[in-house]
Amino acid sequence: MYFLRPRPSNPVWSSLKSQKFSKNWCRQLSQVQGPLETEDDWTDFQQTRTSLKTLTDAMSQYGSEQTSQWSLRDSLHRPAKDATLSALLASGAHFGHAASRMNPNFLPYAYGTRAGITLIDLDHTLPLLRRAAKVVRAVAANDGQIVFIGTRPDIRPVVQRAAQRLGSQGFHVGDRWLPGTLTNKWQMFGHETVRSKRIIPDLVILLNPIQNMNAIQECALSNVPTIAIVDSNVDPRIVMYPIPANDESPRTAEIITGVLSIAGREGIAIREAELQRMRLAVDTAWEDFHKMHELQGERPTEDGRPRDLNAVGFDY
Amino acid sequence: MNILRSQICSVLRRPLYRQLTTTARPFVPPAQLVFHDNLYVPGAKELDDSTVEALVGETNEQEPEGDEEDPDDDRDKPHPDSPNFYTGRPSYYDNIIELQNAISRTRGTLQRLHLLPLPEFARKSLQPMPTVWKTPEEMTTDFETNMTISRYRRVTTLLNELNEYLRIATTAGYADVADRIGSIISIFESGKKEAFLSRGIRKPVLLDQHGRSYTFGKRKTSAARVWMIPVKSSTHETISDVNVEEVFGLSNEPKRSPVNVTVSTILVNNIPIAEYFPQPVDRERIVRPLKIAGVLGKYNVFTLVRGGGTTGQSGAIAHGIAKGIFAHEPETGVVLKRAKLLRRDPRMVERKKTGLAKARKRYTWVKR
Repeated sequence: MYFLRPRPSNPVWSSLKSQKFSKNWCRQLSQVQGPLETEDDWTDFQQTRTSLKTLTDAMSQYGSEQTSQWSLRDSLHRPAKDATLSALLASGAHFGHAASRMNPNFLPYAYGTRAGITLIDLDHTLPLLRRAAKVVRAVAANDGQIVFIGTRPDIRPVVQRAAQRLGSQGFHVGDRWLPGTLTNKWQMFGHETVRSKRIIPDLVILLNPIQNMNAIQECALSNVPTIAIVDSNVDPRIVMYPIPANDESPRTAEIITGVLSIAGREGIAIREAELQRMRLAVDTAWEDFHKMHELQGERPTEDGRPRDLNAVGFDY
Repeated sequence: MNILRSQICSVLRRPLYRQLTTTARPFVPPAQLVFHDNLYVPGAKELDDSTVEALVGETNEQEPEGDEEDPDDDRDKPHPDSPNFYTGRPSYYDNIIELQNAISRTRGTLQRLHLLPLPEFARKSLQPMPTVWKTPEEMTTDFETNMTISRYRRVTTLLNELNEYLRIATTAGYADVADRIGSIISIFESGKKEAFLSRGIRKPVLLDQHGRSYTFGKRKTSAARVWMIPVKSSTHETISDVNVEEVFGLSNEPKRSPVNVTVSTILVNNIPIAEYFPQPVDRERIVRPLKIAGVLGKYNVFTLVRGGGTTGQSGAIAHGIAKGIFAHEPETGVVLKRAKLLRRDPRMVERKKTGLAKARKRYTWVKR
């Protein structure tokens, strides 16, 4: 960190001159002070730090134009709508498990073997991911309940954000899936809850299927469709819509879950738009009905009798 | 299904429903396409029961009523409230997520205020804020789940982090931030916080209207009640205080101000200390706290002691005197604590054990 000597002719510097840019400012920042006693000490401490930020902010107009606002946590908080091959490769989605552990049913999705591990063919992953996204979109558009299951600590925030994106239709399980959640629901949730709320979900998405075989089994018994990220040591037939990819990489999980949850959000938006259109259609139809009714009442009848407005059937 | 199809077609000819059915039907997996008496049309929920029956007619038999799970029955029911419903512990995980959100929000606020990351020298000057969280039993009732040690630890780790931010915010003087954090933390604080934090702290000894302190001392099986009152010092000069040479201005030494030494009395069971404790070691023990605190002639001491022998009684009186000095002059606390005079000596006579001659003494070891 270097210290620039202020030049009075420069307008930027003249405005900054009013602040505390003493000669010992550099030393102040780097030096270890004694303990801060009063509130004024704390304010001074904050001001010393603020002065550096003010300086960098003032100098930023002389630097290069920062066009990309990329942040390290963007893949979690702002995932992409569509997964690209390069993004999946960069996240290590193509790394499978040891070649000796490869499940023979995984062979269609395997690209080959290198350095003793199975490589996953991402040319199969992308269309399968898109297919799964369509399923999620359709289920969400039909007011379906979608559960994201990711039971490792590194993918816990991923499933949480994904469920948040789906609003009231999104659910997540970040810790252990309790066996019997679906098959033993009467005991698990109690009679009142089972009678009053929707318990069986409409779609279950698993990020680590090997650790959640209980959940897969229960979904199969309860006729719940499943989507899962299957790795090379897993039989892809255990779920309805497998997505062959690396299940151990959190970045891959973020990309795939991001695509699926954004598709779900789109489905909810489609449903909202439909409901809005239908409401509008019904309202305008009723308006037309009332208008016709009024016009009918004003027209004179052939035989002079008063018109019966409650009669159904218009003669127009 | 053909019957239903034809019914739908006849409905479509009516003008009112034409707009409702011109929607693109999204792909739904076949398992979801189950036709029961509920008409499966996008937006069918908007149709009331009478319209549905008018459309479909009484073609299907009535549904059997009972406790059997019917997947389509569920579609009329509302969604569960919490996104953590399928964990089986919704309120516990909801609270965890709330705490995590609060932590990240507060961290962002403090970073913008340049209070985070806090250097070591600043961290040392934070005011201490000891807190007592709710016990696992209390949290069990709050979260409706059994609070095991790991779950409790997870919650308290987050709470301690929030407490750190509260310390920083209050010390730096940001009351609104501190209030917001405080409102979240207060939900998890134990009601017995005051009692818990004040445990082990001695009640301060108050002086009565005459300026006397009343303290209690114990040692072995003796107990002593000690009253201490400061001696009223007289300011008259005695002959020994006056230096003749100085008065006439003949000495070169600087004039020293005379030190006023008062004389104090120590009464034990209304008997002077010299009579009650003939052994000098007991008298030394009693006077030691006064010497260490430097108030040897300052206080008159009246003691009532009971129980035990000479050592126990003198130790009890010394304990009481030390507490009395601390009551009159709290600044001597450091010195007395270092000399361990304010501590009730816990050593008691150890009991005799079976198989041993005394508490520790063993019988002579015999080879055979």
